[in-house]
Amino acid sequence: MINGKDLKPRDISTIGGQLTKIELMPLPAPFDKPGMAPELKEAKPEWAEKYCAELDGIIAIDTFETPKTKEEQDALVQKFLRGVEKMLSEETNKGIIQALNLSMEYCAKCNTCSEACHIFQATNHNELYRPTYRAEVLRMIVKKYFDKNGKLIPGGKKGVMVKFIGGDIDLNWETVARLGELSYRCNLCRRCAQVCPLALDNSYFAKEVRKIFSQEMGLAPKPLHDKGSQLQLKTGSSTGVTKAAFLDTIEFLDDDCEDLMGTRYVTPIDKEGADILLIHNAGEFMAWPENPTAFNILFNEAGLDWTLSSDLMGYDNVNYGIWYDDLQAKKVAIAQNEAAKKLGVKRIVIAECGHAHKAAAVVADRFYPGSDRVPVQSFLPLLRDLIMAGKFDLDPSRNDFPVVLHDPCNVVRQMGIVKPQRDILKAVMKDSKYYEMKDHGVNNYCCGGGSGFAIMSAMNFASYRDNVASRMKLKQILEAWGEDVVLSEGPKYICAPCSNCKGAMREIIHNYGLSRYNIHYGGLVELVVNAMTKFDTPYMEFLRDE
Amino acid sequence: MFLTIFCWVALICFFGASFYKAYKFAKMPMHGRQDLYPIPLETNERMHYGGSYYEDDKWYEKPRHHNLKGEIIDMLAEMLFIKKLFIHQNSLWWISYALHLGIYAALGWTVLLFIGAFVGPASVFGSIIYLLTIVAGIMAGVLMTVGAIGLILKRLIKPEFKNYTTPQEYFNLFFLLCVSASGLLVWLGDKSFEYGRNITRAMLGIKSFAESYPEGMPIILIVHILLLGAVMIYIPFTKMSHYVGKYFTFHKVIWDNEPNLPGSKIESEIIKQSKDPKPSNQWSAPHYQPQPASEEAVQK
Repeated sequence: MINGKDLKPRDISTIGGQLTKIELMPLPAPFDKPGMAPELKEAKPEWAEKYCAELDGIIAIDTFETPKTKEEQDALVQKFLRGVEKMLSEETNKGIIQALNLSMEYCAKCNTCSEACHIFQATNHNELYRPTYRAEVLRMIVKKYFDKNGKLIPGGKKGVMVKFIGGDIDLNWETVARLGELSYRCNLCRRCAQVCPLALDNSYFAKEVRKIFSQEMGLAPKPLHDKGSQLQLKTGSSTGVTKAAFLDTIEFLDDDCEDLMGTRYVTPIDKEGADILLIHNAGEFMAWPENPTAFNILFNEAGLDWTLSSDLMGYDNVNYGIWYDDLQAKKVAIAQNEAAKKLGVKRIVIAECGHAHKAAAVVADRFYPGSDRVPVQSFLPLLRDLIMAGKFDLDPSRNDFPVVLHDPCNVVRQMGIVKPQRDILKAVMKDSKYYEMKDHGVNNYCCGGGSGFAIMSAMNFASYRDNVASRMKLKQILEAWGEDVVLSEGPKYICAPCSNCKGAMREIIHNYGLSRYNIHYGGLVELVVNAMTKFDTPYMEFLRDE
Repeated sequence: MFLTIFCWVALICFFGASFYKAYKFAKMPMHGRQDLYPIPLETNERMHYGGSYYEDDKWYEKPRHHNLKGEIIDMLAEMLFIKKLFIHQNSLWWISYALHLGIYAALGWTVLLFIGAFVGPASVFGSIIYLLTIVAGIMAGVLMTVGAIGLILKRLIKPEFKNYTTPQEYFNLFFLLCVSASGLLVWLGDKSFEYGRNITRAMLGIKSFAESYPEGMPIILIVHILLLGAVMIYIPFTKMSHYVGKYFTFHKVIWDNEPNLPGSKIESEIIKQSKDPKPSNQWSAPHYQPQPASEEAVQK
C-alpha cells in the first residue's frame, strides 16, 4: 500500500492489492476529541474477493465483479479501451466532445483546483483524490493508446516519445478497475472547475469514466441504474412507486395534513391545462412527506393554478442518468416533458430537488427543440415572489431557532439560483437566527451526497460518503454555528432544499450522532409553513415534541 | 535570406496554426450546457454573487440580459491578469504571471519593432516607439526568464507539481527559457534592440540581414532568431496554445447559458444536429442495443 502523499498517477497500475488508505481530516469541536468521530469501515474479505477494493478499500460499483482469469482481465482492458475510443469520438460523444477535448488538452497542472475539492481536503490531501489525479491517468491512457484523431492503436505507442509526451502508463485490469472505482469518489460538484484559471473541468473525467463503464461495459451501481433510472423508466419512479400507490400516498398525505393542521388542502392531480405542473422527487413522499405537504399548503393558500401528475414519469423529477449515462438521462428527461405536454400545463416547476433542477432545466435544455419543450423553472423564484406579494401571513418569530442554510450545488453553482432562497429565509425568520456557512452560494461545498452518493449504500460505500464526502459539510455546519450554538440545548435546523442533500444530512446526523445536540434537518418550504400565523400547531415535528 | 524566410514561416505558422486550432474547436458539435456560475453575462448585480435568469419566475417570458461589458471585463481580467490564479493560488501567480507578462511584453515588443522598422528615433513619435521598444524588450527578456526558471524550479521541487509534470512540460518551459535567455544575451551587446529592428527590416524587405550586418551576424543572434522562430512554430501544437482554448472554455463552455427557446439559434442548431446520422460506433452496453421502434427516436 502506498502512502497517499507519495502516490503518483502511474501507480494506479500497481499490480495487486489495495493502492492506498484513506486518512481523515480532523474535525472541529465537539468532534476534535479522540473517539468522537466514527471511523471508516473496511471492506469485508468476501466483498474484496468479489468486487474491486483495490483502490482504497471502498466499493462503489456493486455490479462490477473483478476479472479472475487472464482472458477476463484482457477482455476488460480491451472493452475499456473501446469505450475510451467512443468517448473521444466526435460522432459518438458529441454532447460533450468540445468541452472534454479542451479539458483533456489544456490542463496546466497548476493544482489550483485541489484546494477547492472537499474530497481532497477530507482525505488530508491524499494524492488519489486530487482532482487532477484521475484526469491525468485518463490523459496518460489517451496519449499512449490513441492517435491524434482518437483512434485506438492496438498495443499502444512504443518508444521514448510516448514517455516524453506523458503517456508513461501500463494499462492493466487493475488500472481499469481502479479508475472505475475512482470515478465514484468525486461528487461531480464542479467546485474545482469554478476556480480553474483555464476554466477546465475535472468532473468531466470522472463522469466520462462512469459513462464508459455504464454505456460500454454495462457496469453501474445498482441504485443508479437497475434500481434507479431503469426502474423509473419501467414504473414511473425510481422509488418503484406505481401510479396507484402514488394516488394512495397523496390521499394519505392530504388526510394527514388535515389531522395535523386542522385544514384540508386537496392536492390537485392530473388537472389538464393547469398553469403549473409541480414535480417532486418521489423520495419525498416516502422519506419526507412533510415537504410535498408544505408545497400543497403553500400553493393552495396562494391560489395557484397547479397540479401534480400521476402519469408514468410525471410524478418523479429525479434523473439519475445525468450522473453516469447519457441515454438514460435523455430517456427520462423526454418522458418527463411528455407527461407535462400530455396534461397541457404551461410550465413545469421543480420542487426541492437539486439534481432534478439541473437535469430538467439545464441538462435537458438541449436534448430536443425548444418548441417541443414545456418551460421548466425552479420553485424558488415562484415562492419568493408569492411571499413578497404578501400571499401568506408570516411571523418570523415562529422559527425561533438557529438555522443554517445549505446550498445544493446544482441549484447554486450550476444554475445560478442564489438569492431567492435567502430572500425567503429572511421573510420567515429573524436575522439573528440565520447562519451562513463560510463558503456559501456559488462557492458552497457539496453535502457529500451529490452525483448519486446519497442513494448509494452498498457494502462499505455509505461509510465513504458519510466520513469522507460529507466531512467538509459537517465541518462547515459546525463552524457556521460555533461550538456554543452546537452545544446549546435548543433545536438547531439545517435547511437543505434538496432531496439528495437531505439524504446526506440525514446520514451525517445519524453517523455523527448529531441528534444528541438537538440538530435537525429539513427543507425550506417547511420553514415557510411553520411561520404561517394561520396555524396554531408548529409544522415541524421536532417543535411539536418540545 | 534563410533567416528572413524562416522568420516569415515562423510568424505564419504561429498565426495559421493558432487559427486552425480555433477553427477545429469552433466546428465541433454544440455540446450540452455546462453553465458554471458566476457568469459575467448576467446583470451587474447577479454576476457578482453568481445569480442567473433562473432567479426570475417565468424566466422564459422575460427579456434576456446580455452583459457584454461584464463579459469583456471578466475575460480581459482573466486574459491579462490571470485573475482566478491570483485569487485562488496567489503564491503561484507571481511566478506564472511573470512568465505570461513577459510573453505579452514580447508580443508588444514585436509590434513595436515592426513600427520601429519604418520610424527612426528622430521624431517625437519615433523616440517614444524607440523607448517603449527598449522597455518592452527588457521586460520580456527578464520576466520570461524569471518566470520560466521559477516554474521549472517549482515543478522540480514541489512533489504535487513534480508528480504530474511530463517531460514535455519541462521541455516547454526550458524552450521558453532558452528563447528569453538568448534574447537577453543578444541584448547585452545591443542595448537598444537594434537587432530586433533589423529582423523586421529584413522581413519587410527594407534592409537585408547582410546589409545590416556587413561583417556577419553574431552567432548568438542567429541562435536567438532560430530559437524564437522555432518556439513560435512549436507553441500552437502544444498546450501552450491555451490562449486559443481559453476563449472556448470560458465563452463557449462555462459561460454559455443561452437557453433553448422556441425560435432561438440554439433551437435551430438542435434541429440541425438531430438530422445527423446515427453514430456508426455506438456504445455497446445492453441498454444501448436496438430497441422497439418507439424508443428509437430517443436514442438518436
